[in-house]
Amino acid sequence: MVFQAILVALITTCCTWWFSHTITRTWLYPIWSGFLVGLVMGHPVQGMMIAAAINLPYVGFITAGGSMPGNPMFAGPVGTALALVSGMDIATATTIGVVLGSVAVLSWNAYMTINSFWVHIADKALAEGDLHKVRLCNYVPSFFVSLVINGIPAFLIVMVGKSFGTWLTTFPQWIMDVFSIVGGLMPALGIGMLLNYLSKKKIIPFFFLGFALAKFLNLSTMMITAFGVIVAILLYNFSENGKAGEQA
Amino acid sequence: MSELKKSDLVKNWLLGYSDETCYNYERLQGLGNTNAFIPIVRALYPKERQAEELKKYLIFFNTEPSWIGTVIQGITAAMEEKRANGENITADEIISVRSALMGPLAGIGDVVSQSICYPILAGVCIQLALAGNFAGPILFEVIYKVLMLGFGYNMYMLGYKKGRVAIIDLLRSGLINRILEAVSIVGLMVVGSMTASNVKLDLSFIAATFNNELGKVEFNLQTGVFDALLPGLLPLLAVIAVWNMLKKRVKPLTIVGIIFIVGFVLVGIKALFGAYV
Repeated sequence: MVFQAILVALITTCCTWWFSHTITRTWLYPIWSGFLVGLVMGHPVQGMMIAAAINLPYVGFITAGGSMPGNPMFAGPVGTALALVSGMDIATATTIGVVLGSVAVLSWNAYMTINSFWVHIADKALAEGDLHKVRLCNYVPSFFVSLVINGIPAFLIVMVGKSFGTWLTTFPQWIMDVFSIVGGLMPALGIGMLLNYLSKKKIIPFFFLGFALAKFLNLSTMMITAFGVIVAILLYNFSENGKAGEQA
Repeated sequence: MSELKKSDLVKNWLLGYSDETCYNYERLQGLGNTNAFIPIVRALYPKERQAEELKKYLIFFNTEPSWIGTVIQGITAAMEEKRANGENITADEIISVRSALMGPLAGIGDVVSQSICYPILAGVCIQLALAGNFAGPILFEVIYKVLMLGFGYNMYMLGYKKGRVAIIDLLRSGLINRILEAVSIVGLMVVGSMTASNVKLDLSFIAATFNNELGKVEFNLQTGVFDALLPGLLPLLAVIAVWNMLKKRVKPLTIVGIIFIVGFVLVGIKALFGAYV
């Protein structure tokens, strides 16, 4: 248990400490980071399903300029680990994930603030002409910051997770019903965020087309993606022709 | 004559993926980009000039660093090479090109990576994973990385070979926006289908039985009204409601709070219909 908790803590640390995006870029997203947690905890199938459920509210997750509307890098691994050790169901896991992710916005802000300090050390190193030290400033101190504010909380949460699960079972049914309704509604947040970002008025009907194909014709997401690609190519071709026609 | 070898360029490109290792509010990717340019500066300048030349990178810098923004690194590497070989390019010029490009390319890069590729991939892969299929996370990881590195490498080399003038012309042509708009359609259709399959709201606990002249009538709000109107109506309305709140600049965290309140209210109504007695 302790060993697994340490591994989860390290995964959680690297979900925020992006040593190289060639590896860690996808660790932002619970579907992958939670799956890794499922693997190290020995429950790959269960972990994968929980991770996917935790990812749902973050489908429209967009970070720009270092601002975060939630913290899926904490919610993903820690939520999955907590759900696995405490044995909660998938809808509850989504809710707990969102709660963790919302609280952990604080840890992200702390991370971004504390790291400013290392830049000043790098300034000094560069003034002294020590390029090696500049490089160390980029890689080393931020690891320890992430370890303290993400890794250690993750470790503790996994360690007390089992008693958390026991505590959850003492909750009255109505609280579990609230969690379940909230878990069912949370994906609307991710979808809404994406709509808000993507939407240009003239292409909005395609959102409703996607909904209709899934609900009325029961097509899978994969099939709908294929339709979408065809429509996108057609539309691009026609917009090109339209432009050429104007010029002719 | 000092020239950049292919290996210097590849190092510079790959080290760019550590742009956000020491991500911070003060200079964002400034330190990371400085780190990425160490090999370039080492290859081009004599030892005593290297630190001085690096200083132009240790300032505020922020773009989308993995997919599209690598083009800025390519452009910069080309400018550094010319500067090292005596062409009249000042440090200020390099800084101003970089700061002028970082915003527009962050815009394009964020749309490509975070609002098109990621949601489409996640949308498909989450469904697979929820069904217990390992292809879900594995496809997500593999396709994401292949696309990211493919885009990143080619954008880097494009910037290096074509230089700033060609890139600025491309940005002005409007071609990119037309492509992005077309591809956005796929994203919209995927989130539309996710609204149908992943958002859940069921009010079937609001049910009552009446006695009238027809005899005993069972009334259920969910099956009798909403499902009869349009299957999936409530999830669709929930998404539209969230979207409208976001349009009015309600913060995502506030919406999380509102969703919890809705949960409590609905459970309160459920209690009124006698679910917990």
